[in-house]
Amino acid sequence: MITVEHLVKQYGDFRAVDDLSFTVEKGEILGFLGPNGAGKSTTMNMITGYNSATEGDVTINGFNVYDEPEKAKRCIGYLPEIPPVYPDMRVKEYLSFCTELKEVPKKERKAEVERVMELLHVKHMQNKMIKHLSKGYRQRVGLAQALIGNPEVLILDEPTVGLDPMQITWMRKLIRSLGREHTVILSSHILFEVNAVCDRVLIINHGKKVIIDTPDNIIRTLGGTNGVRVVVRAGEEAFRTAISGISNISRCDALDEQVEEGLTAYAVYSSDGGEIRDRIAAACAKRGIALFEMNAIQKTLEDVFIEMTGKEGDTK
Amino acid sequence: MKAIYKRELKSYFTSFLGYLFIAFFLLFIGVFQYLYNLRLGYANFARAVNGTATFFLLLVPMVTMRILAEEKRQRTDQLIFTSPVSVERIVIGKYLAIVTVFAIAVAIVCVYPIILHNYGATNYKVAYTTIAAFFLLGCTYMAIGMFISALTESQVFAAVVTFIVILFTLMIDLLVQMLPTGNELALAILIILAVIIGVITYVMMKSKVVTGIFLVLSVGGLIVAFLVNRQSFDGSLARIFGWLSVQSRFSLFMYGIVDISSYIYFLSMIFLFVFLTVQAIKKRRWEA
Repeated sequence: MITVEHLVKQYGDFRAVDDLSFTVEKGEILGFLGPNGAGKSTTMNMITGYNSATEGDVTINGFNVYDEPEKAKRCIGYLPEIPPVYPDMRVKEYLSFCTELKEVPKKERKAEVERVMELLHVKHMQNKMIKHLSKGYRQRVGLAQALIGNPEVLILDEPTVGLDPMQITWMRKLIRSLGREHTVILSSHILFEVNAVCDRVLIINHGKKVIIDTPDNIIRTLGGTNGVRVVVRAGEEAFRTAISGISNISRCDALDEQVEEGLTAYAVYSSDGGEIRDRIAAACAKRGIALFEMNAIQKTLEDVFIEMTGKEGDTK
Repeated sequence: MKAIYKRELKSYFTSFLGYLFIAFFLLFIGVFQYLYNLRLGYANFARAVNGTATFFLLLVPMVTMRILAEEKRQRTDQLIFTSPVSVERIVIGKYLAIVTVFAIAVAIVCVYPIILHNYGATNYKVAYTTIAAFFLLGCTYMAIGMFISALTESQVFAAVVTFIVILFTLMIDLLVQMLPTGNELALAILIILAVIIGVITYVMMKSKVVTGIFLVLSVGGLIVAFLVNRQSFDGSLARIFGWLSVQSRFSLFMYGIVDISSYIYFLSMIFLFVFLTVQAIKKRRWEA
């Protein structure tokens, strides 16, 4: 549905997007993840044909964005970072302008405006001037605009920014449901959101692709550690002595974590990746140490993200 | 195109800008009409129109400075440039909207000669051909103003440059009289101009080949032409700059000369600057 090939955007000496390639299948939701300034918005602006690419190609539904811009743009609904609304227009007036701009057939325009207003719950605001709307409502009007004409592809740049927690949950649900009929690319720097909404995640940093995969796969392949979290009722000294007999333990750290009164949490790492849980359990039992919890330490998407993008310390 | 045109036109009348433009325009023409036709008793309505032409200096930058910069500021350019409407149609839609605002004002002015006719003989032919030329003159300035606003993101800068360019076209007849007429000096100045244009081309296109070809052809051509027929350079500067004078093409109508070539001149200038606006926007989006 969307094919991006060797996309490059050069600003003088600065490469904002560097050889980015990926495809998005029909009905898929792809999350763009990256620190600020990673090139998310620049890439989206190139996909939608707002800016041109220095090199590379973007194909939407078989139409090259640069060779057949009108045909390609007809398949796209775009919500930029700042909703592209005219402050001096009323909500309904603005949306009917958009139906005309997007060449919705004349007879269907009225119904289309009603449809998107209902979908985004802005119908009660239809006669308000956009400049008098709150950020959350402007964002909704902006999304309503992107949905006009029911385009096959939706490109949403940080759709939940500026919304309150209730609206965020609602917006995520909406995007999830839109993903059933549309192909969606959405950018975010909120990892939880990407994890909750997207089928696949593309992490980019300094304009380069770091990884593209399902959130689960990313965690499975990159999130594995050799660590085990252990909660026991024992002093540090006693616990360390108890496990000192296990040959393949490389490290044991006391975790700075709130657990129940009298209990302590430790992270224990094996040196060879082999299973150590049974040995720890046996060692504790032998020393009469009460064992309360034990589980393998999994990295979250957040940990992976920070590890892959935050090396230069510019993660936000 | 229709959507852009309709929205744009509506915005002129929701933001007072359109009313302001028409009101000022009618004020200026009213003052001149009072002065020439009523106070001084000239029967020629064209004189009043001619006097008003100077005020394009103030009126045109007022409407053209925001024509593209405003979309950029509101970020709505991201909506219109990602819609299935081509840049050409967007620019034409916007241009037609300001032309319509101007046409409303001119339509009101068209009634004046009829009113004047009640109190004496009015030459309708002179009056209406002048009004038509005046309308095209205004449209030409608006196309130039729109082009300048496409070159910059700053509304203030666009307004100031448009003001200076219009001022230049108004003063060009005076300046032409001061130009030297000697043929060697003319050659030198033309070569300098060719080099300046060459530098601008290089800065805009960053292509050494195109600039090189342009410089060889223009400078070489000038020198060859000079060697072949040096007399043809006599007074050439005055002719070239005179050709740029938008204003002088307009004043002819006042004397009852219906100069069709001037209409064509204005229409070509409008076409040229609308085209250049489209190119400027395409180029800017290429870089941005």
